[in-house]
Amino acid sequence: MEIRIKDLTKTYASYAAVDAKELSILSGESFGLVGNNGAGKTTLFRSILDLIEPDTGTVQIGDFITKSSEDWKDFTGSYLDENFIVGHLLPEEYFDFVASLHGMSQSDLELKLAEFETLFNGEITGGKKLIRDLSKGNQKKVGIAAALLFDPAVLILDEPFANLDPSTQIRLKDLLKKLKEDKGVTMLISSHDLQHVTEVCERIVLLEKGQVINDIRTSPATLKDLEDYFAGVGKKEAEPIEE
Amino acid sequence: MKNFLQLLSIEWKESRRSPLWHKNLLINLVLGVSFLYMIGMFVVLGVFLDDILIKIPVDGIDYNTFKESFVLRKLNRFLLYYFFVDLIMRYFMQKLPALSIQPFLHLPTRKSKLIHYMLGKSFISPMNLLHWLVFIPFMIELFSNLSFSESLGWSSGFVLTVYLNNYLLTYLKRTSDVDYRVYVTMLVSLVVIIGLDWFDLVDFQAVSETIFNAFFLQPVTTLIPLIIGLGFYYLNFKYLRANLYISRLSKSEKNEITYVGAGILSRFGLVGRLTELEFKFIWRNKRPRSVLLITILFLGYGLLVFPTDEYSGNYLMYILFSVIITGMFMLNYGQYLLGWEGMHFDHILTRKVSFKDYYMSKFMLFAIVSGAAMILSIPYVYFGWEILLVLFSVFLFNIGVGSHCTMFFGSLNPKKIDLSQATVFNWQGLGVAQFLLIIPVMGLPLGLFGIGVIFGSPHLGVAIVGMAGLIGLIGTKLWISLIAKWLSAQRYKISSDFRSQ
Repeated sequence: MEIRIKDLTKTYASYAAVDAKELSILSGESFGLVGNNGAGKTTLFRSILDLIEPDTGTVQIGDFITKSSEDWKDFTGSYLDENFIVGHLLPEEYFDFVASLHGMSQSDLELKLAEFETLFNGEITGGKKLIRDLSKGNQKKVGIAAALLFDPAVLILDEPFANLDPSTQIRLKDLLKKLKEDKGVTMLISSHDLQHVTEVCERIVLLEKGQVINDIRTSPATLKDLEDYFAGVGKKEAEPIEE
Repeated sequence: MKNFLQLLSIEWKESRRSPLWHKNLLINLVLGVSFLYMIGMFVVLGVFLDDILIKIPVDGIDYNTFKESFVLRKLNRFLLYYFFVDLIMRYFMQKLPALSIQPFLHLPTRKSKLIHYMLGKSFISPMNLLHWLVFIPFMIELFSNLSFSESLGWSSGFVLTVYLNNYLLTYLKRTSDVDYRVYVTMLVSLVVIIGLDWFDLVDFQAVSETIFNAFFLQPVTTLIPLIIGLGFYYLNFKYLRANLYISRLSKSEKNEITYVGAGILSRFGLVGRLTELEFKFIWRNKRPRSVLLITILFLGYGLLVFPTDEYSGNYLMYILFSVIITGMFMLNYGQYLLGWEGMHFDHILTRKVSFKDYYMSKFMLFAIVSGAAMILSIPYVYFGWEILLVLFSVFLFNIGVGSHCTMFFGSLNPKKIDLSQATVFNWQGLGVAQFLLIIPVMGLPLGLFGIGVIFGSPHLGVAIVGMAGLIGLIGTKLWISLIAKWLSAQRYKISSDFRSQ
């Protein structure tokens, strides 16, 4: 499923949060988004998901313009932050609800959840903890699993590796790679972790002040290039690489 | 002392900068005026307390024997009840300010200092200031009637008992789990005590009189509440000293994950599923749950009006009370319709849930709860058939017209509600829309009834109210699609407001 962004701009008060003339993510491409805080990564994702109204421009997922149609929700899985999950439900209840929205049967759901068993590490399902009582990391696991539950053709994740423990980070990475190879899922992932993102994504876009300033095919040299870029950004703005 | 003042100033900033104040002027004004009104009422009560007491007939206290202390002795007969009720109220409403010191625990201040600060601060908690409001005017009069030592004795005895209650309650609340059962036990024992007194089995009034008379007859007895109060202060201190750890202080409420009637609604497609999720939401969060509990209490509201001769045949009152009996939940819960979901609004937007289904599930929720209230209030027929007729036509109006108005106003400019916050006296989420809602939901049925009265009879008025409800009900799909369309246009603004709140 292809994603096409055209003339997308969003300006807050004084600065441009997103300013993307022409950006296309090909079907089956794994697309990584990097940039410092305030570069507009989350704003771009929110505009794609029709959560904020852009000043100009459109986003199209497959055949659907996200602003005027809702059909893209059928095949788009996303997790940006805790606003995407429902705190007062048990993880099972939440998965059950999401599955029902996509017309999955109970057995489909169980099969699917079994796939996430290593990711969950026994801490998510079968317990008596509501989602809001889970740790940040485990909440994220619930959100990501709910985004993957219905075999989406498009997957959008904001900072999926942050807050996860090292084992889970590695498992998630493997899971994402497998999704790309086996099912040809179109993936949009933003991350502050340059190592992970270069490993998972075949294309990396560097964002600064809402604009695409670099668009590269990942190669063995990419990680080094990115590190050099971020080390060089005006010393006050540069932030230590987290996680 | 310096630290003490610093802590106080930090806390002052906290309350000054709380989002509570960031409302518009009108709301602050309304809240402020009603607050002043409440304070005024308490002061007025205090000023007229002796006049009231003189009028209450009490056996065994002869005016001529006591003269100056007559009023005081009368009051003393009821003080035991007064403090018992105070204890119950405190249990329900007084907050334990435990968490506010959490950010200071890792700083180089002595723990004992923090604890003294915490305990000392409760001196000016509203639950204590209330007593001051009522009794300062009374005490002033006391000093002009009785001798200085007598007045001082009683006044300090009274004040010390207030603070004894304060520290007793905070200790109880800290050491035991907050539980509805404790509250019910307290209420039941109060009823039992009043019952025992009423039927002259045990004379608690005499006990009360003995205790509190002692304060002015033998002022030295005021040492007793002082010592007990200090004892509870010390117990509080000792408990906090041993337990000043975040994990123990933030005793979170046991999360309710049971849910009765699981799966029944889910059989009715997506709308049913959404309604069921909403019931889970209500049941599992304190604030909406208390809305539901209040609704149950208000089912008995009609008893204030329906059986009395005073309002017999007063259809206006019948209608007003009927709106509340079957519409209490809808109004109280529905006024924050979207605010409740501020924490997961993006979830709703990115999932394939159409706004029509979304509102339809809200409508179902209102219809189910109002319907249940209607069924439960059928016994009111005992007070007359016309009451049941009024209840039923207002019920129709509530779900046919009121529900759609509530859904619309509840979606106007919503404020995110943080569910981890306290329940009592929580105005979070309140906006102008919530006040405006009263116009159609309360005013419209009264207006329609009035039209009926002008052109015929009260019965015609009631029929018009019912018909309006029926017409609204038939058009449900249309109204919902209009509200959904409106929300669709507002969705960016609402979701970005929620994110920034």
